[in-house]
Amino acid sequence: MTATTTAITTSPPRFVRADGPDKVTGSGRYTADLSLTGVLAAKFRYANIGHARIVRLDVTAARAMPGVFAVLTADDVPDVRFGPFVQDRTLFARDVVRFEGEIVAAVAAVNAVVAQRAVDAIVVEYEPLPVINDIEAALSVESALVHPDWQSYGAADALVRDRNDASFASITKGDVGAGMAAADHIIESRYVADGCHAVPIEPRAVVAQWEGNKVTIWTTTQVPFDARAGVCETLQLPTNRVRIIVPHLGGGFGGKCGFHYEAHIAALARVAKRPVRLVFTRREEFIAPDRRRESIVFNIETGVLDDGTITARRAWLAMDNGAYTADAAFFSQLAAMHTAGPYRIPNVQVEAHLVYTNHQPSGSVRAPTAPQACWALESHTDEVAAAVGIDPVEFRRRNAVDTGAVGPSGQTYGEIGLQQCIDLAAGGAGYGQPLPDDEAIGVAIGWWPSFSVPSGAYIKIDGDGAGQIITGAQECGTGSVMTLRDLAADELGMKPEDFELVYQDTAVAPYDMGATGSQTLLNNGRAVIAAAGQVAEQLKKLAADHLEAAEADIVLADGHAYVAGTPATTVSLVELAGIAAGGQLLIGHGSSTPAEAPPLAGSSCVGDLGMAAFVAPQFSCHAVRVKLDRDTGVARVLHVSAAHDSGIIINPIGAHGQVEGAVMMGIGQALSEGTTYDDQARQRNAALLEYKLQTCADAPPILVQFVEIFTPDAGPRGAKGLAEAPNIATAAAISNALAKLIGRPVRQLPMTAERVWNTIQGDAS
Amino acid sequence: MTDSTTASGTFDVTLDVNGIAYPVHIEQDRNLLSVIRGEVGLTGTKEGCDDCECGACMVLLDGRPVNSCSYLAVQAQGRAITTIEGVMTGDDLHPLQQALLDEGGVQCGFCTPGMIMSAMALLADNPSPSEEQVRIGLSGNLCRCTGYTRIVAAVQRAAAVPHA
Ligand code: FES
Ligand code: FES
Repeated sequence: MTATTTAITTSPPRFVRADGPDKVTGSGRYTADLSLTGVLAAKFRYANIGHARIVRLDVTAARAMPGVFAVLTADDVPDVRFGPFVQDRTLFARDVVRFEGEIVAAVAAVNAVVAQRAVDAIVVEYEPLPVINDIEAALSVESALVHPDWQSYGAADALVRDRNDASFASITKGDVGAGMAAADHIIESRYVADGCHAVPIEPRAVVAQWEGNKVTIWTTTQVPFDARAGVCETLQLPTNRVRIIVPHLGGGFGGKCGFHYEAHIAALARVAKRPVRLVFTRREEFIAPDRRRESIVFNIETGVLDDGTITARRAWLAMDNGAYTADAAFFSQLAAMHTAGPYRIPNVQVEAHLVYTNHQPSGSVRAPTAPQACWALESHTDEVAAAVGIDPVEFRRRNAVDTGAVGPSGQTYGEIGLQQCIDLAAGGAGYGQPLPDDEAIGVAIGWWPSFSVPSGAYIKIDGDGAGQIITGAQECGTGSVMTLRDLAADELGMKPEDFELVYQDTAVAPYDMGATGSQTLLNNGRAVIAAAGQVAEQLKKLAADHLEAAEADIVLADGHAYVAGTPATTVSLVELAGIAAGGQLLIGHGSSTPAEAPPLAGSSCVGDLGMAAFVAPQFSCHAVRVKLDRDTGVARVLHVSAAHDSGIIINPIGAHGQVEGAVMMGIGQALSEGTTYDDQARQRNAALLEYKLQTCADAPPILVQFVEIFTPDAGPRGAKGLAEAPNIATAAAISNALAKLIGRPVRQLPMTAERVWNTIQGDAS
Repeated sequence: MTDSTTASGTFDVTLDVNGIAYPVHIEQDRNLLSVIRGEVGLTGTKEGCDDCECGACMVLLDGRPVNSCSYLAVQAQGRAITTIEGVMTGDDLHPLQQALLDEGGVQCGFCTPGMIMSAMALLADNPSPSEEQVRIGLSGNLCRCTGYTRIVAAVQRAAAVPHA
């Protein structure tokens, strides 16, 4: 850390987002707000059973009902198996249903009431199959298989699969046996995290309309190009005949990543010869999508010397894939990294299994696998620190990675700010000061990669000087797309308000991965700067001609071009735009070149999907003060102190908002959010009444501090990702506060009042 | 309470939404939210759960906040219904709307209309609420994006604006 590259930001200046006025006035349109002439309502028939063979499926009566325009089953769409990593899924169930939210049939009818009646009139008879409801049992050789044909499925080459194990990954460094043998203490822990949900407040919606052989689909996806790819794959269409448009998106948190119901609704609309609209109920939002935060079983073992030096870590994880493999295939390696943790450990052996069950499929939810793994590892770390009698914060200072250190997968870090994060978070929480005996502060550290991927944007400036940024990027609420205006404006000497954004439309903009992986600003920011750079060159050339000066001497600032050193020799950009409109138009395009993955030394990875090398890694430390009512087990979070190294912060108000929102999500995961199943693998709490989100009245004060360090392979101006990282360490810090108050950790997540109370009573939960 | 009843259990009613009278023909079990969005054609009021749990559908009925998903439309006849579209004065944002922009209290925006309606009712009752009172007053509105911090700050900022 040097004074020239590091700054600590605590309070944000103002930033008014371009989509703000639409959103505060109610004039902004979300997908469910759209209406098209003749639009029909769609409803799905779900399996409603965990695992069964379909012995009869009869849609005759439903098809015959007045007002029903289309009823589709697997027989009515191309016979395509799809999936980003393992092609184990079909649009409609074929022969077997494997989770309650699997779609058996779809109906389009004149309105939702008629559509639901038709859904109810579909006759389905099942022969029950064994329900695979337990992750660890599913790994045993005796277990029934969720996919008996798993070997015949197409899959990514790097995946290591075996029966119910859909993706095995291991990270090995050094000699873990020798490391354990050298330790003075070996601490073993078991933790179990329940699955949970993204719960965007906007339920999913899809509207599809065909014109000739082309379809336009308005949808609530976070990843329009991925959704397009899914439609093209399953309905066998070329990309240029499928247009995905995302109106304003009412939150996603990863839950709306991937390809969901766009193809079902497009297929219905094609058969019905009418536009079709799907709007999910909250219950559907809970049970159906293949994006749920996975439950994970952790067995972790750490060897440590009396002086607090970690000598070895061994861990075994079993993660709930659910019935089909969405993007969860890369979670095995990611979870393994998070269970190894941002620590200097010479000897590491972590193995992770992604296991098929008859649950809803798992998928990326905000920092997938990291909050659970951080919770388990950091709770375990406090157990290790206690075993050697070292304060948990001091223990982390000694063992956490720092600039120049080698991490658990053999990556050597450049300049990073984890140690500063620990100091800031602990300091901001008043760590070490006396507290009432029903309060404690827990501390946890986390990390997360930045995702460096291809991304494109165009910029044009029309004859009146008004600019447009036409970008493939997707806004899900974080404000990252909104921030692109500032980048373009800076390049061109214009104001952010001079630009309108055209975004989330696959027909008009170049590719971007979407609102996923906290990657928008990192990658699309570079693309926008490149596009603006081209326009800047065009403006400078025009200005040089106009001002009879050398192009190299032209400076763009304050809406003008002027000659360096003689600011009086100037022309407005509006005038230049007018000149350009009669000749060489002002158009720029930019494409972001991904940074290379950093090298790993001394480690070996099985099932390697590139997640063991973190590009521009982000670090965090959260310190959380918790009050516990020991008579009831009710915990209340009183204060959160969050410190983050996410590189240089470009939009401070947006950055603070990301941390605050993610911390609240973390408090929910810690205390109340967890999916429970009945013995048929059906969710028991698929409603907001039973699945409790944190409210405004629950929210504690949240202190946010950033350690700003310039990182060369980060995004524009040294910005790393941010939207996911602050979701990682909160639950872990709460766990460590509770463990201090109880005298032992709560070994299940969420740490509900009942589980806390049981832990207080001494039950091994 | 209704203008006329037809044989099929539908009613002709007139709803006063943002000071404009809308004659609508609706089934007796239709909730107010679906009528505002469908028949009246104002989509600023959102549906997040249809279960009285999220507050995205909040409107004012004679100034009182109501989850419109759980309120029968026919019962709203004769009352003044205010939705997010009725909050501005001419082209001017309401101080709550402006404060939400200034404080960064808007992310995805899906909870925002409901939040504004709840906050308007709160400020009408209590023009200078404490932070705690704001937090309790908004506890029926779920926001998944912001962590509430900036929304609470915005309501307090708006409360400080004269005549908010
Ligand atoms: S939609 Fe009415 S409370 Fe959620
Ligand atoms: S801003 Fe997204 S739910 Fe509140």
